[in-house]
Amino acid sequence: MISMNNVSKWYGSFQVLTDCSTEVAKGEVVVVCGPSGSGKSTLIKCVNALEPFQKGSITVEGISVGDPKTNLPKLRSRIGMVFQNFELFPHMTVTENLTLGQVKVLGRSIGEATEKGLKLLERVGLLAHKDKYPGQLSGGQQQRVAIARALSMDPIAMLFDEPTSALDPEMINEVLDVMVELAKEGMTMMVVTHEMGFARKVAHRVIFMDAGRIVEDAKKEEFFGTPRSERAQQFLSKILHH
Amino acid sequence: MNYNWHWKVLLEMEPGGTGTYLHYLLVGLLWTLATALAAWVIALAIGAAVGTLRTTPLKWAVRLGNLYVEIFRNIPLIVQMFLWFFVMPELVPQGLGDWIKQMPPPWGSYVPAVLCLGIFTSVRVAEQVRAGIQSLPRGQRLAGIAMGLTEAQTYNYVILPQSFRIILPPLTSEFMNIIKNSSVALTIGLLELTGRARAMQEFSFRVFEAFTAATVIYLLTNLAVVLLMRAVEKKVRVPGLIAAAATPQAGH
Repeated sequence: MISMNNVSKWYGSFQVLTDCSTEVAKGEVVVVCGPSGSGKSTLIKCVNALEPFQKGSITVEGISVGDPKTNLPKLRSRIGMVFQNFELFPHMTVTENLTLGQVKVLGRSIGEATEKGLKLLERVGLLAHKDKYPGQLSGGQQQRVAIARALSMDPIAMLFDEPTSALDPEMINEVLDVMVELAKEGMTMMVVTHEMGFARKVAHRVIFMDAGRIVEDAKKEEFFGTPRSERAQQFLSKILHH
Repeated sequence: MNYNWHWKVLLEMEPGGTGTYLHYLLVGLLWTLATALAAWVIALAIGAAVGTLRTTPLKWAVRLGNLYVEIFRNIPLIVQMFLWFFVMPELVPQGLGDWIKQMPPPWGSYVPAVLCLGIFTSVRVAEQVRAGIQSLPRGQRLAGIAMGLTEAQTYNYVILPQSFRIILPPLTSEFMNIIKNSSVALTIGLLELTGRARAMQEFSFRVFEAFTAATVIYLLTNLAVVLLMRAVEKKVRVPGLIAAAATPQAGH
């Protein structure tokens, strides 16, 4: 469903991504990990063109992301994105956050959008907070609303950019639980995360990045069993034994 | 100070025969407000547009916006007032210029004064709007774009509603400035509050009474503006966002 071919990206003369290629099939859960600054977030932001790239190609269901003729807002509306810092709209209530995209992008009626939004809110266990503002919720609650907001657009795939990195430790699980459930339902997901427990539980594949390159792209069992590259071995030993 | 106050002068007839001096000054206040409000509409409209354009990735728009701001920010208000009054009618096509010059008083002064104040203040509003937009986390724009909103929709629904809440306190100051700055219009013959206070002291030789009265009227007017804007701030305040909105305005 998502296909990347030799994607390279530069910030000025600094190369952040070098020849990154991978495929994500429908229903597949791919975890992207690696040390900070390795280009993980940049890579998944290329998928919905939040970050432009200069070389290579990315297609989502056959639609080329880098093609200037592509209707990017339409493409983006079909790919859900969850950010590290939630990025709920603080001046809107939870319900308004959930309906904005549905109404303005998909053209649904307010009634239809609200019904859908509240159903999703119930699913992430936050129906009681529907009239609150994001600033009145905890980080974990905000991130669950953000996931519900992304789902409200009926996405064909979901991108997660370090969804638990900004959370207090006791709130991480409530967000991971929602993501695990989503994965089990067969949602196509690309997840940048350091949560190796999550990767072990639901990932099909793990992509390991270092210095802008995809160093390892392996089935979960292979990656956690016998990572081929030394860099990935080091990373795993550090992240698993702290 | 040894001065014989004569407050009753306010109740004496002014020589034009339109009523008492107090009435004369209050009509001046109406002209002050009419000038300030009309100029404020221009200032907000242009300021919001220019300030927003300067935050877009459009290079030509940013440059054009910068040029506009630098021109009107760096010329003294009184010079701009003279330029609008004396020079502008000569620069526009002759028919329009003649029409402007032949406008009966007070419109011949009022229109240039409104344009001048509006544009002078618009660059200050533009700076506030730009600062307000740039104080938002970058992720807000990305979140709007990522859900499929266009750039324009993202500004409309996500960025501007937050920015304007943040810059409401400095905008209040700008609105009060425009009321005070409208007094410069007396130099091109608009009989607003200050102009009328000056006229009153010329007719009655009661300089202290005239300007004390004008001072009190200005103070009360701006006090009303402050209270009004506080009510507006309270109305648009977002629960849980108070701290976030207050931070960029520290020291204001």
